[in-house]
Amino acid sequence: MTVEDQVRDIVAKITRVDKSIITRESTFKEIKADSLDVVQALVAVEETFGIEIPDEEAQKFQNFGDFVSYVESRVAQEEKV
Amino acid sequence: MNGRVRVAVDAMGGDHAPEEIVKGAVLAAQKDDVEIFLVGTASILEKELARNKLTNNSHIYIVGASEVIKENESPVDVIRRKPNCSVAIAAKMIKSGEADALFSAGSTAAAAISAIQFIGMLDGIYRPALVGSLGSFAPNTVMVDLGANVDCKPHQFVTFAIAGSVYARKFLNISDPKIALLSTGSEESKGNDVVYEAYSLLKNSGLNFIGNIEGGDILSGKANVIVCDGFVGNVLLKFYESIGSHAQVWVEQKLKKHPPLRALVRLMFKQLFPATKISTETEKHGGGILWGIDGVVKIAHGASRAPQIANAIESAKEAVKAGVVDNLRSELVKFNQGGKL
Repeated sequence: MTVEDQVRDIVAKITRVDKSIITRESTFKEIKADSLDVVQALVAVEETFGIEIPDEEAQKFQNFGDFVSYVESRVAQEEKV
Repeated sequence: MNGRVRVAVDAMGGDHAPEEIVKGAVLAAQKDDVEIFLVGTASILEKELARNKLTNNSHIYIVGASEVIKENESPVDVIRRKPNCSVAIAAKMIKSGEADALFSAGSTAAAAISAIQFIGMLDGIYRPALVGSLGSFAPNTVMVDLGANVDCKPHQFVTFAIAGSVYARKFLNISDPKIALLSTGSEESKGNDVVYEAYSLLKNSGLNFIGNIEGGDILSGKANVIVCDGFVGNVLLKFYESIGSHAQVWVEQKLKKHPPLRALVRLMFKQLFPATKISTETEKHGGGILWGIDGVVKIAHGASRAPQIANAIESAKEAVKAGVVDNLRSELVKFNQGGKL
């Protein structure tokens, strides 16, 4: 399972939307995720991948793709270490 | 459990915290069937506790919390930035089995968010809701949600209906509660997009759904469970709670020139319609339960003083004894078997 699939599963589970509608271009608003959904998703992703996502980075996420790209880069960094 | 219900109290939450919270907890701890854990800044709580007279058999303890939520902080940030604040620690005590119930008079949102994140929801629940009976004017009617979810998704209305039905059965002894959706008209097509979609979900849910109900029928007794979003529910709740005192003022004003009649009316209001009776479970029991959390979470008005705090802790204890969480869980399991959540 790719990082993107795992993050999609987490977001779909928290927001209760069908994961097939979550594309890299989907904004959190489009998938009807409120602020609590977003924070829960951040916490769940942090726990799943053992990473920390600073608030200033999280605030830059415009869509699901930005979120996934950030997680992918952090996971790759962790693997190098 | 050693026969005592263990209540984790968020001692730092509330307009008069920690003084009134500690006082209320001390009052509640006079009963032998409860153990209270005051969660907050230990040095402050030790001083507060020392100021109160504890009876010999009081079971009241302090649990330290290293962080405090400040007034201007977003409750949502609690999860990430302050996982060791008092309400979060209290929630974690439920999850770990160190406590049976959580009580907070602090920010409802912070309590709800901590409960969602650190205790978790029952299977099938998206967000918890506040359920309350309408009391005097409609003793066989409950409303859900009374303010926990300002914005709702359509599927939440179904879980509100299930929670309301469990409440009606458990506390009002209504065997097959009639469920209605609050809208701007009785026809299926009435309401906003969310209500319209919720209607369809409720209609096909297999629950005892009787359709839409308008504001004018809330107190008619036609429905035993009325579901609405937390924004509407909270506005209605506060309006409802204000009716008694405003009606009294209005009638007395009208009878200004008839002192004997005015005195009679005053007596009548005092005896038959005291404002405190025209209220919901939220007032009578010093707070409301967040239904849908996998544990008893009791919240109270921020302005609550010691007597209300004590009542709320008592009520949390009774909810644990009544097994309200397990009741809702088994209803949800039954409902989930049909794959409808």
